[in-house]
Amino acid sequence: MTNNLKVLRAIKNISQEDLAKQIQVSRQTINAMEKGKYVPSTVLALKLARFFEKPVEEIFSLESED
Amino acid sequence: MKTKFLFPNKFKTLGWLLFIPSIIITMIISLFNINTDDYLNVTVFAILSDFPLSKPEHFLFIKNSIVDELLLIGLVCGGILVGFSKLKIEDEFTTKIRYESLVWAIYLNYALILLFTIFVYGMGYMQVLIHNVFTTLLFFILRFHYMIYKQNKSLQDD
Repeated sequence: MTNNLKVLRAIKNISQEDLAKQIQVSRQTINAMEKGKYVPSTVLALKLARFFEKPVEEIFSLESED
Repeated sequence: MKTKFLFPNKFKTLGWLLFIPSIIITMIISLFNINTDDYLNVTVFAILSDFPLSKPEHFLFIKNSIVDELLLIGLVCGGILVGFSKLKIEDEFTTKIRYESLVWAIYLNYALILLFTIFVYGMGYMQVLIHNVFTTLLFFILRFHYMIYKQNKSLQDD
């Protein structure tokens, strides 16, 4: 699964640290997601969608191997 | 985040205070083959007392050095608290790292047991079994904190 968190974060001009605080996870988690090393749970995906005010599908997308 | 089975974060410090002295003393005793039988000899209650060259006895009071008992309690209780207390920020990612470290530790521990089963015999094998009481926990703690350290380091590198 890929995501465009980094781009969305840049558009909103918010740091990893601040985003982590907003959605109550560690900064490591945001970093790991942006690097594609961690696939978040549905709860976390929905929290991110709510924060960026976008449907989940616009943030995360499936890859061919998923 | 709601978590099942984990202790609050403040127990982690207590865990380290128990675990680190216990592991250091255990290492020293193992490495230098120190006999602790003459230290801390107290009367203890035994459900089973079974020493070589004597008959097994049940439900009685005996004199016994409690150095090894104290060390093992320190290692196990300390280790459990260190490994299973929440991190300052506990989230689903740290839960995943904890789970993967646990799997890794179980594999490593049983790989070592298999290796020692094939190549170690007699009293040496007893040593392997005794150490096995806490090695899974030790491998887990080392792996878990190494993985967390790696995540923190990759943050600093960015």
